[in-house]
Amino acid sequence: MTARDDILGRVRAALGRRSIDPASVASAAATLLADLPSTRPRLLASSLAEAFIARVTSPKVAATAERIESTAALPEAVARYLRARDLPKAIALQPLALLRSLDWSGFAVRDRVASDEVAAIGMARWGIAETGSLVFHSGADTAVLANFLPLHHIVLLRKADLLAYLEDYATLVAGQPMPRNVNLITGASGTTDIEGSLVLGAHGPRYMHVVLVDA
Amino acid sequence: MQTSVISFKARADAALADPTLKLAIDRTTGTAERKRAAALVDFPQFEAARERGKRIKDHVIEHLDHYLLEFERNAIASGAKVHWATSADEASRIVVDLCRQAKAKRVTRVKSMLGEEIGLPHALDAAGFERFETDLAEHIVQLAGDRPSHIVWPSMHRTREQVSVMFKKAHRVPHKDETIEAMVDSARRELRDKFLSADVSISGANFLIADTGATCTVTNEGNAELTTSPPRMHIVTAGIEKLVPSLPHAFALLRLLVRSATGADVTQYTTFHCGPKKPVDLDGPEEFHIVLVDNGRTKMLADAGLRDMLRCLRCGACMNHCVVFKQLGGHAYGGVYPGPMGAVLTPVFDGLKESRELSHACTLNGKCQEVCPVDIPLPTLMRGWRDRSWREGLEPSSMRFGMGIFTFVASRPWIYRLGATVAVRMMRLFGRGGWIRGMPGLGPWTAHRDFPVPSGRTFMARYASGEGRQK
Amino acid sequence: MSNTLVSSPPASPRVALFVTCLVDAMRPSVGFAALKLLQDAGCRVEVPMQQTCCGQPAFNSGDTKDTAVLARRFIEQFEPYDYVVAPSGSCAGMTRAHYPEALADDPRWAERARKLGARTFELMSFLVDVMHYKPAGVKFPATATYHDSCSGLRELGVFDQPRALLGQVGGLTMKPLEGNDVCCGFGGTFCVKYPAISNAVVSEKAAAIERTGAQVLLGGDMGCLMNMAGKLHRNGSPVLVYHAAEVLAGMADAPSISARSSDKG
Repeated sequence: MTARDDILGRVRAALGRRSIDPASVASAAATLLADLPSTRPRLLASSLAEAFIARVTSPKVAATAERIESTAALPEAVARYLRARDLPKAIALQPLALLRSLDWSGFAVRDRVASDEVAAIGMARWGIAETGSLVFHSGADTAVLANFLPLHHIVLLRKADLLAYLEDYATLVAGQPMPRNVNLITGASGTTDIEGSLVLGAHGPRYMHVVLVDA
Repeated sequence: MQTSVISFKARADAALADPTLKLAIDRTTGTAERKRAAALVDFPQFEAARERGKRIKDHVIEHLDHYLLEFERNAIASGAKVHWATSADEASRIVVDLCRQAKAKRVTRVKSMLGEEIGLPHALDAAGFERFETDLAEHIVQLAGDRPSHIVWPSMHRTREQVSVMFKKAHRVPHKDETIEAMVDSARRELRDKFLSADVSISGANFLIADTGATCTVTNEGNAELTTSPPRMHIVTAGIEKLVPSLPHAFALLRLLVRSATGADVTQYTTFHCGPKKPVDLDGPEEFHIVLVDNGRTKMLADAGLRDMLRCLRCGACMNHCVVFKQLGGHAYGGVYPGPMGAVLTPVFDGLKESRELSHACTLNGKCQEVCPVDIPLPTLMRGWRDRSWREGLEPSSMRFGMGIFTFVASRPWIYRLGATVAVRMMRLFGRGGWIRGMPGLGPWTAHRDFPVPSGRTFMARYASGEGRQK
Repeated sequence: MSNTLVSSPPASPRVALFVTCLVDAMRPSVGFAALKLLQDAGCRVEVPMQQTCCGQPAFNSGDTKDTAVLARRFIEQFEPYDYVVAPSGSCAGMTRAHYPEALADDPRWAERARKLGARTFELMSFLVDVMHYKPAGVKFPATATYHDSCSGLRELGVFDQPRALLGQVGGLTMKPLEGNDVCCGFGGTFCVKYPAISNAVVSEKAAAIERTGAQVLLGGDMGCLMNMAGKLHRNGSPVLVYHAAEVLAGMADAPSISARSSDKG
């Protein structure tokens, strides 16, 4: 008997199982998600953009944020960010057509994120106002490591891609094949492993800056 | 990992005598308690969310075979390989064999209590692989050569001074300042190239999503992702109770898990892994393996007195609020899991005979159940082990004898009254100024505190004489 | 929350007082205070004379069989009454929350246990929730702090009621106890099986009590009160310890738990 047979056999015996009706199990599972608002916190503002920004800049999320009017303004926002921190205008750029098409003159642009990368620019697929999270799907234009190697992670997010709650993301992707990795990223990395004292920048980025574009 | 009756008392005494440990425990559990309380203030829907979480877990448990098969089907469809292990040894053997197949030299690990449970660190070391723990706390535990003492903060028992010494000895470019920031930076430097050069990475899972075959980790540091993308093989080990029907169900539990564990609303990184690297992917492992581990879970499922324990989210709230854990820390428990959840689980893994003390070293005050995000009746489960221990004849014979006498006496009021009167008289003999500082039979009490002398005649005697009657 | 709120108090209910082992042997004044309070609240109180122990020591030791023996005795003795009241959250909790568990092997007894349990109360919650009682003309000029014993708090929902009652006492100022709902380390047999751990826990409790600056410690369970009083006294602390019932019944002019005992009786 394989371990699989053994385990399934024991589970069935423990449950006194005769047969399963998948439809009724699915229906019961769906009922468990009824009335979600009763078990979710309120958003911090009535507009998604305000709620997201309020959350992402709150003490609960280790991130900074700004708003720009169009994606064309991103390079200038990045230049400002780097200048304010005395950092050189050297960035790794996520291989997204939208990002690549912007005017990065004056920057030294790398197309892959090095293990000691100082600043990397990316774009999130969605943002979640409830938690201040950014959603990334791995794929042809998104390397997972690119979101974790740099010291400064600057992420573009479109207002139109804002979602209210975690479940709203689930609803959007329901039924579609999942990418290899889905990363929900909320602020900069950190640890409280030494004496419970919070330190930012454990292994992932130490700084997260969200640029929300009104598009 | 075996616990033993003798060593619990010895370990407890050692822990109680260690002021540095107490300082370390207080810092961690105190912060955790405060932060959880603060998180709940901002989440008035917590009780309703808790009720939903409990029902979700119960539903999965009641249909565990269905969800196991659904998960396996979808995981395989996504390109993952699914393995099953009935025991801890079998699970770690599967992992070691996979590493051998991958011709691995260097293996990186992401913190996983299930990994501890199946003895993975030891198995990997014994098989000759170069093993690197990548969570800061597990890195510290590895350098110290000891074991996790808390399920969320494994190196809770280590002070910064102790960590500083370890890092200075082990890191190639250690910290110069004695600040925690500098130490974390040192670990960041030290481990970075390990992530990128490993052959195999091994992680756990907080959730297994049945309708996609994806695994989910909930972490803060970034090592979980840095570790699991570069190597050519990624192995996930997970207990079979980690299943949830779908993504929204996982999110419902996520809201409970993080607030209960650290007081944050969500961790920095909630990551879902579904299958190996796809042709379009820029990074990722060529092979993705999932090992589904039983190791006593089906035993708990079959036992009405233990089934509720399968709801456990491994948040650590119970131990953070436990008056006993807060005095002893995690190592005194002697098993993989400490605190209230450890006291319930350890007899499943190690056998009741070896670990019966753990369920007794509890005041049954119920705070653990109160803070449990899925309302596990921990005191009931704890007492259940005591009941089992009694029925299996594992309780000391002096206890059985004493309880037999007490029941005999308490069933016969006239003997009981006599006994109470005699006891009261005896105590008054030993009293000075209203207090007993020492008396045969009261040793354990009076070792640490005084015993109040009884006031005189018993209530029943005085009432029988006519006192207190209704006018 | 297991106490049922009644819309208006029952007229002259027949109440059986379950005094509990520790009150009976160690501090009968608590029992007499309970009698007085119940009488003042309008109850016809009786003390079933065959009562002994609720069986909690056996239950918590895992000896379910002996617990069942004592549980059946208790049920038979107390069933005839309208209500059963005990000046102890842990003993009331034992009978109300755990008797059905201890008698699970016998569905008929388990049902009798459930029925009786629904009419079994801790003293202060009975006075407030069922009898809507308000103490009148009671004075106790002092600052006091209150410890919420675990069983009463978590098994029976006893929290507001002691505070509501004590709020009616003239001259009494309550100071909040940091960690009021944190276990004192008594835990029944726990404190004698694991004395060192128990001591560590009660030491922290004693320190918290002293930090309040209160003159008096109040609570609703003798085991907890004896544990804390014993530690306070060993520490040389001047804090006086009473069962809340004694203060409410105007009987707290007798020596406290942590003072020279009366030789009367």
